[in-house]
Amino acid sequence: MSTSSVSKGCFVFKPSAKKKKRLGLDDYFTDGCEGAENGQLRFRLCQDLWDKIKTDTEVLQDELNRRILDSLLDFTKKCSSFRHHGDWASQMRASEIPTAALVLGVNVPDHDMTFQSLSELLQQAVTPHVASVQAKECGALKHLMKRVLERLMDTVMAVGDDDDEEEECEQTNGQLHTNVHCSLSALCDWYSAKTKKSSSGTPGKKRSSLTLDEQQQPPVVIIFKDLEAFNPRVLQDFILICSRYVGRLPLVFIFGIATSPSTIQRMLPHSVSSLLCIELFQSLSCTQHLATVIDKLILSDHFPFKLNSKVLQVLISIFLYHDFSVRNFIKGVQLSLLEHFHSQPLSVLCCKKKEALLNVMQLSHHNLERVKQLPSFKRYVQKQEPQEQDRLLNDDTHLKEVCKKLMKDLHKYHKNYYPVLWCLHTLTSSLPRYPLGKQIRELHLICLEKSVWENEEYQSAFKLLKMLAKDELITLLQRCAEVLQRVKSKKMKNAVVQLEELLSKFKQLDTAAAETALVVEESITSPVKNLQKKTDLFQLQKTLLEMNESRRAKKLSPFEVLRNEALEFIDDLVKSHLSPPEAQTLSEVCYYSSSATVRRHLNATPRTCIQAALSSPFYYLQNESLKTEDGSVSNAAPDICITYKLHLECGRLINLYDWLEAYTTVVSAAEGNDSDSDHIGKVDDVKHARFIRAVSELEFLGFIKSTKQKTDHVARLTWGGC
Amino acid sequence: MTALLQHPGYEEQRLQRVAEQLPCRELQAGTLLALMGEPQQYSYPSIFIYGHRASGKSHVMDVLMSELELPNATVSCVECVSVPLLFEQVLLSFFGCDAASLLPRSPSLSDFVRIYKQQCSQSPAKETRYIVMEKSELLRDTDANLLPALLRLQELVEDNVTVILLSEIVWDVFRPNTGCFEPLLLNFPDYSKGELLQILSQDRHPSYSAEFYLSYINILLGVFYSVCRDLRELRHLAALNFSKFCEPLTEGKAKETDTHKLWKNIEPHLKKAMQTVYLREVSSLQWEQMQQMEERESGAVRGLSAHTHVELPYYSKFLLIAAYLASYNPARTDRRFFLKHHGKIRKTNFLKKNEKMSNHLLGPKPFPLDRLLAIFYSVVDSRVAPTASIFSQISSLVTLQLLTLVSHDDQLDAPKYKCAVSMDFISAISRTVNFDIVKYLYDFL
Amino acid sequence: MMESCVTHAPSWSSQQMRGVSANQMPEMKSSQEVVIVIIINMSKRKVKDDHMPVGECITQVQSILRERFCHQKLPEKPQAVEAQHKHLLELLKRTAIHGESNSVLIVGPRGTGKTMLLKCVLRELLGDKEVQKNMLEVHLNGLLQTDDKIALKEITRQLHLENTVGDKVFGSFAENLSFLLEALKKGNRSSSRPVLFVLDEFDLFALHKNQTLLYNLFDVSQSAQAPIAVVGVTCRLDVLELLEKRVKSRFSHRQIHLVSSLTFTQYLERVRTQFSLPGSFPDAKFAQEWNASVKTLCEDKSVEEVLQRHFNSSKDFRSMHMLLMLCLSRVSVAKPTVNPSDLLEASRLCLSDAKADMLHGLSILELCLIIAMKHLNDVYEGEPFNLQMVHNEFKKFLQRKSNSMYNFEQPVVMKAFEHLQQLELIRPVDASSAKTQREYQLMRLMLDHSQIMEALQKYPQCPTDVKQWAMSAFG
Repeated sequence: MSTSSVSKGCFVFKPSAKKKKRLGLDDYFTDGCEGAENGQLRFRLCQDLWDKIKTDTEVLQDELNRRILDSLLDFTKKCSSFRHHGDWASQMRASEIPTAALVLGVNVPDHDMTFQSLSELLQQAVTPHVASVQAKECGALKHLMKRVLERLMDTVMAVGDDDDEEEECEQTNGQLHTNVHCSLSALCDWYSAKTKKSSSGTPGKKRSSLTLDEQQQPPVVIIFKDLEAFNPRVLQDFILICSRYVGRLPLVFIFGIATSPSTIQRMLPHSVSSLLCIELFQSLSCTQHLATVIDKLILSDHFPFKLNSKVLQVLISIFLYHDFSVRNFIKGVQLSLLEHFHSQPLSVLCCKKKEALLNVMQLSHHNLERVKQLPSFKRYVQKQEPQEQDRLLNDDTHLKEVCKKLMKDLHKYHKNYYPVLWCLHTLTSSLPRYPLGKQIRELHLICLEKSVWENEEYQSAFKLLKMLAKDELITLLQRCAEVLQRVKSKKMKNAVVQLEELLSKFKQLDTAAAETALVVEESITSPVKNLQKKTDLFQLQKTLLEMNESRRAKKLSPFEVLRNEALEFIDDLVKSHLSPPEAQTLSEVCYYSSSATVRRHLNATPRTCIQAALSSPFYYLQNESLKTEDGSVSNAAPDICITYKLHLECGRLINLYDWLEAYTTVVSAAEGNDSDSDHIGKVDDVKHARFIRAVSELEFLGFIKSTKQKTDHVARLTWGGC
Repeated sequence: MTALLQHPGYEEQRLQRVAEQLPCRELQAGTLLALMGEPQQYSYPSIFIYGHRASGKSHVMDVLMSELELPNATVSCVECVSVPLLFEQVLLSFFGCDAASLLPRSPSLSDFVRIYKQQCSQSPAKETRYIVMEKSELLRDTDANLLPALLRLQELVEDNVTVILLSEIVWDVFRPNTGCFEPLLLNFPDYSKGELLQILSQDRHPSYSAEFYLSYINILLGVFYSVCRDLRELRHLAALNFSKFCEPLTEGKAKETDTHKLWKNIEPHLKKAMQTVYLREVSSLQWEQMQQMEERESGAVRGLSAHTHVELPYYSKFLLIAAYLASYNPARTDRRFFLKHHGKIRKTNFLKKNEKMSNHLLGPKPFPLDRLLAIFYSVVDSRVAPTASIFSQISSLVTLQLLTLVSHDDQLDAPKYKCAVSMDFISAISRTVNFDIVKYLYDFL
Repeated sequence: MMESCVTHAPSWSSQQMRGVSANQMPEMKSSQEVVIVIIINMSKRKVKDDHMPVGECITQVQSILRERFCHQKLPEKPQAVEAQHKHLLELLKRTAIHGESNSVLIVGPRGTGKTMLLKCVLRELLGDKEVQKNMLEVHLNGLLQTDDKIALKEITRQLHLENTVGDKVFGSFAENLSFLLEALKKGNRSSSRPVLFVLDEFDLFALHKNQTLLYNLFDVSQSAQAPIAVVGVTCRLDVLELLEKRVKSRFSHRQIHLVSSLTFTQYLERVRTQFSLPGSFPDAKFAQEWNASVKTLCEDKSVEEVLQRHFNSSKDFRSMHMLLMLCLSRVSVAKPTVNPSDLLEASRLCLSDAKADMLHGLSILELCLIIAMKHLNDVYEGEPFNLQMVHNEFKKFLQRKSNSMYNFEQPVVMKAFEHLQQLELIRPVDASSAKTQREYQLMRLMLDHSQIMEALQKYPQCPTDVKQWAMSAFG
């Protein structure tokens, strides 16, 4: 593009967005092999699924926050009402600003949502005047002032609709720009005008929002989103100023605190904190939050899309080890969802049962080939008789039928998996030392990995269960029954039936042989009791051993018989339903498995990447000549690699000249003219220049920096030989 | 008592009213009035009133100004974020908004004085004008000329104006080094016990008799007077504990008269309140709830300060621990603590006796990022990749004020940090990851 | 209202008099006599009719004396500075009448009457009609005109040249100034009107960016472009050191020093004159009585030693005015004279130690902290300390011997510490300590032993063990 102008100057050319064709999101999904239709289909599925997940999680968030938000609402309402017809106590603190200290935990990324919904609720239920401020936008007092005033007046402008008020707001905003009028007194005048207006005849639409505020003045709520980050000085001054107006302006503060309420004391001296009337609100911990999210999101058969153990492991560990952020966890799920649908063409089958069956019929030849390639399917084929096998491999229609069946089975498997998982969890979660984990997600991980019943925690858990007293056992079983009842699949149905029978048997038992049972019980149960108390492994094994001896010694009581029966029942319930998903045929369709990708995206390690690139250039460049063993760098490698390698051998301070020497020797060796020794290590300008560049590159990458201690030296910034 | 407020300048009943509104401050009000003189007479150019918080400085001024209807401009220096705001407010309250609007965009002191002059030449003062400045210690932070100019404002604007400065700080630290016009100093002493009693007993609960409330205040002062004389704080405490005090009455266990029983009832609670005096941790309502809680599991009073536990991600905990170790251990001791097989470094020869004070008295020392990470990797049990999120955790710890960034923000390579958490905080943290931090602390060897 | 005052004024006062005379100290014969005299006079006064009622008189007294003390009303003739007065008058006359340029500095410590002197001179100067209609005055104040742009605007304004200047743009300050002075030239006569520049707080002008204003003014005054006189008023004796070389060289090194070499007797005399009423007072009788009472007051022994103390601390007008003002404020219709007790009270107010007052109001905890700091100061000879150390010290005390004090939690102690910092009884060593935690910020104590000890003595219900702790040499 050019301009007709002759004079020098800089011209801005807005890029014309229309010109270059945007290729739609779904186009990204058509990865080479397949026609677009499949890609679009997968994209659609992905989108639908994600929307569903999104909405569900949001609902979940809301009801998790419900309690604390409600209490906050009550708090603000109470404040505003007390101000007018208050009792003695509230008159005593008429001069103080009611303040809610809202402790939200360190998972800062999640806070925004909370504050968002909070301010919305406040505006619906209590007051139109809500302003929320962040630390980074108010470095100085006047900025804070400005923000607060603007926010408050703008909110009202949004609400209000009659002209004179509008213009009034205009001119107040106008004043805001001339920093002089930006004071609370201006706000006071505006507020009194506002309330007068609203108390006198208000337009109908407004009445709907502020019904309860008609008679009394609505409070002015100011939310400090991140208290820790605020500059204490600014905050103090602001509070001091506000307290002068508290008579005319019903202010309410809400402090969003990430760490602990004692930060308030750390930030505010007594002279300021004595102007506040603080109440404490604690939100529920993010781990509980995560647990509920996992229950709803992962441990349910509503969503066909699944994560395998590794991926789940990664996501959870990111949560626990790095950020307590549920939002990021869900993002992780989203990422894996996207990846799955993108990378796995067969993910067309990853959807609701009916749809899946339809899609099976649509499967193209290519995809059927892919199906045949699936390891799980191969395993399945091997199990079949020969003629069945070659039918599977050759007859597409038959294959489709089989796939349909297999898909059905998969869905059934999921249907039954989770209830049984819950059962097992209910049984084992209360055991001493939690052999199968306290949280259900741990159990789930175990099950995903390999078949539970094979690892010894499971065995020990069952040993412990075998020692349960009757009443405990019965209660547990009943809880299991409740869990199973919710499911409607025939397997579970008759499982429930059997359980009921067992329970009834237990009932009869104590009517029949009460006294023997009694004897048995305390002889049996007492160890379990004291297991609860002293719970170190050694003790445990010891008692277990003597249990067995005692059992061997005397014949089983009817109760024990029954208990074993029950446990066996549970056991084969587990065996039949909790087999790991890899065992299921076509599991690859629904299970996303590449944990590496997820980790690479969510928990990047830039440093190691750079170091890998520098120490073994082959890894990225894929050039045979660079291939070396034992991690040494071939002298044909790029200069920066060589310099890097050399600098690894140095201490904190690197003498540049020595470095150059070493470099030139290496490089000249690479040039192969090591025959004439005078040429060796001779520094010509080119090498010198290359060396300089390499060094500056290293400096840019932050491995070294120039130091003032010695002129011809540079300092190393990385420690160790990593 | 109104005899103290005899003044020819003003009507009896006004003075009467003033006196009623200023319990235990008649003396000061009297002196002040005497200094101010009759409205039309000249008054001293500047008066500096100092006294502790809640010793009635602003209150007295407000009452005098409002009741005697003196022309005044009362400004709080906190609120005057910028000097122009101050000028504007003064002009506004003396000459109305048209005068204030005469101020140019960013007015200088001379503009202010010029406008003031021309305004008061138009409307000359029949009475003394007063400029009352609360929290005047903040004037020192504005440009250096402002305070001296204000002190001799009367002379500068040639008007019968008096500047009254209120502050909690003594005048000596105000005086600029080249000196200035000395204001008239006036001290508002703190209230004596009797006066406190008199004042506090004024806001009595409507549904109880005056003497009952008086006895309550008596008890309260008996406990708290030794540690707290701040009227505001005492009022807060009174409001806080009164309902507790009345409990026996409401339950019908006691009558207003038997003070002893009431005392027995309230005393332990006051003792508890003593522990959290000045902290302003809870509103009265939550205080109630806590008291109930105490009944159940009788521990110390748990206010805000008790909720110091913070949930942190696993690695953040270790990062914090590492930071703590790095900032409280001398760097030279790291080899001994964190190398698995440090050669011949025995306690004896690496413990320096010459350090006269323990680091826990001197406070945390800054440390570079490398050291932090090195320690981190050695204390954390599993092998950790140096992922981006590790570094982001460090920065988030900084935003949470658990670490503080000592070096300047724009210094990207080798930033320096300090650990900003207390000993018991960190030991609580390390307990959760069962890491015995005391073993690794130089001070506790 | 005045009515009521009038009616019951005599009775009031008389009985009050008796009260006073009753509670006079025995050795103060003289003042007793005075009192009686007054009473007699008053009783006489009822029959006489040319006088005013007491209320009236007091009001008059108040307004006259207040004008003197608060508003620095000029005396009829300057006292004790006749020489300087003459000198300055001479200088200015030369400018005003003969159109010579001049520059002079009036130097003297604060409150020694520099401005008064100048004003007296001007008053006398302007007495001359010719001068009055010819000479122009420009008053600048270092406090107000904080830079040369503002100063120039002010000059323009005071010379009433805003509209002549209009919105001209000047290349340099010098051009601008010379333009202004040109503009003052009267149409026909080539001689321009003399201008008198008075620069109050002269030293502050020296702080302006390369002293342009001063340079130009002195330059003009030296190279007689236009007849101007520059009079600088400052309290800094080293003012010349502040001037740049080029500025200094253009300044005629005339300085008028006001160092009050007052003897105590003169001081006393001045007090008397300052406090007594002028002859022009409407009610002559009252004036006599008043002056008489003042005279006796000044002769009083206790008064004398009080004044001696003040004299030693400072002998300038200001502090004296403050003292007298305080006395005056105790004069009322109820008590139409000043007596020694008033002056003692006033001087007590003047000389009271503010820090001690503040210490008196501290909570016991805060006081303990201060004591701990004192001990720390003793141990580490004035090294700065932080809260942790102080708290440690305090804890030691508690463990050793404390029956009266509670062991407060860290946060509470922290609050107390903050309060002390807020009162600036302790100061952080380095201002830029926002980064460090509060409990580790290094602090210094702004009090000395004597103040602390005094405070402890005065402190209401101070526990004995705390006192002992404060006394004890070691921490």
